Amino acid sequence: MADGILLDVRDLRVSFGPVRAVDGVSMAISRGPFGIALVGESGSGKTTVGRAILRLVPVSGGTIAFDGQDVLGLRGPRLRAYRRAAQIVFQDADNSLDPRMRVGATIGEVLIAHGLAGRGAVGGRVAAQVAALLSEAALDPALASRYPHQLSGGQRQRVAIARALAVSPRLLILDEPTSALDVTAQARILALVRRLRDERALAYLLITHNLAIIPGLCEQTVVLYLGRVAESGPTGELLARPAHPYTLALRSAVPEVEAAARRTRIILPGDTPHAASPPPGCPFHPRCPLAIEICRTTVPPLQTVAPARQASCHRAAEVLSGLRPPGAPAQLAEDPGHAN
Amino acid sequence: MGGHPVNQVKLEIRDLRVSFAGHPVASVPELTVDAGEIVGLAGESGSGKSMTILAVLGLAGTAGATVTGSVRLDGQELIGLSAARLRAIRGRRIAAIFQSPALAFNPVFRVGAIVSRALRQHGLSAAEARERADAAMRSVLLTPELLHRYPAQLSGGQLQRVAIALALALRAEVLLADEPTSALDVTVQAEVLELLRELRDSRGMAILFVSHDLAVIAELCDRVAIMRAGRVVEQGPTGQVIAAPRHDYTRELLAAVPRLES
Repeated sequence: MADGILLDVRDLRVSFGPVRAVDGVSMAISRGPFGIALVGESGSGKTTVGRAILRLVPVSGGTIAFDGQDVLGLRGPRLRAYRRAAQIVFQDADNSLDPRMRVGATIGEVLIAHGLAGRGAVGGRVAAQVAALLSEAALDPALASRYPHQLSGGQRQRVAIARALAVSPRLLILDEPTSALDVTAQARILALVRRLRDERALAYLLITHNLAIIPGLCEQTVVLYLGRVAESGPTGELLARPAHPYTLALRSAVPEVEAAARRTRIILPGDTPHAASPPPGCPFHPRCPLAIEICRTTVPPLQTVAPARQASCHRAAEVLSGLRPPGAPAQLAEDPGHAN
Repeated sequence: MGGHPVNQVKLEIRDLRVSFAGHPVASVPELTVDAGEIVGLAGESGSGKSMTILAVLGLAGTAGATVTGSVRLDGQELIGLSAARLRAIRGRRIAAIFQSPALAFNPVFRVGAIVSRALRQHGLSAAEARERADAAMRSVLLTPELLHRYPAQLSGGQLQRVAIALALALRAEVLLADEPTSALDVTVQAEVLELLRELRDSRGMAILFVSHDLAVIAELCDRVAIMRAGRVVEQGPTGQVIAAPRHDYTRELLAAVPRLES
């Protein structure tokens, strides 16, 4: 089914000096409408993967193919065309919108720069296109005359989405598009993505630390830990039956309104280690509640653990069949230095 | 004022009104937080939650707001207290943590210097300050070694823990927590929520917890007040408000919570 693939990332590597921020990540994004989620904590390398796909950071290894075309070799007009086909929406619209430009000018500039503005018209025609884009992002076209600081956070993020849509992209990278917003604004942005997905047959990569926003939006999910794929597979199965203890922990961290939906919380001790000094063996073992001897010495390869599912964990088969950490009730993790 | 009347709640807000040039931005008829209790204040951006917190801290005036009504700590009225007397209470007896811990720490000082300065301002000797800071760091499960680092060398979750450690070191009785986990990863959020529960249960702290996320409120808070456009529209025991919301706005907030099962 190679025909169905829009973006094919294989063994992607990105290094910053000695730091391996992304260390052999592969994923395939189907032609839209299609959503894939890239999940992980701060420091997992998820944002770097998104930027590497757009060639915003230098790639040190692997391949990226868009529509069968080698992205890493693109130059000049073809790179420009690629950047029209693949757009990004950043986490913080405060920083990605120019505070001195009115909303209309911000979006109009994109149309003009890419030669998409209605022929020979810098005035009325562009304004009409901008108005249509704002409406598509569920914004009042009258907001075109406002400055970003006059809008709410949710409205600013909609402007960023409208700007990305201006060039009719086929692939959208959404880098934590809602984590700076409150849940009400988040729900509206996610509903907008869902609508655009169908109306525009969009394919998108949704980068997030919160598993709860993925269901209903993404068919596939890739879980990253310290620059490597911990687990990947169809979203429904992966969430219902994780194969990696890290996914279990991410799932248990989601706050739930209904007491019945709450899971035993797995508190991961400590922060993600820094990619500059990854631990030996499995990179997750120092925080893993299920780590055994082999985890401390041997890096687990990414293996197929079920149809369409892959995981890099020595105990993936056990986790898949229901192995859980010993009941970690509502209590702080043990710490040898705990003085009380 | 005389001795403590019995049955006095720790923090009591009554008829609190915060306004800018006559425009009301927050109005809280009644809200109490007792020792050993976490009370949630929920609502969207702009609903007046943070202004309420600033008013309790006696800081709304510095933002240009007018505050009327009553805020009592152990029965003692705080509204109208002199700046000097407020300073002795703020930080010491009523501590606060905010959404962005990175903004709460001056980046050019080591974390330990910031902590010990706050402790010494409230009358501790240098030796006492060091000892208390080390112990407080351990109680939030951080190594005191981190005190030698600069804020930029700590993660957001670590910094938020240091902010909580500072409140512990000062033996604060009330903690005002304004969206303390909104900028954190869900995994780190889970740790900080666990820590807040621990402060409530083992130290009897009274915690006023502000959030836009009803799922977080549901997991953490004993009672909740829902705020919208500057007004409290509904309040009660958290389980009751969540299970049988009486106001449309509460239902709206509930519907916005993302769920794993859907």
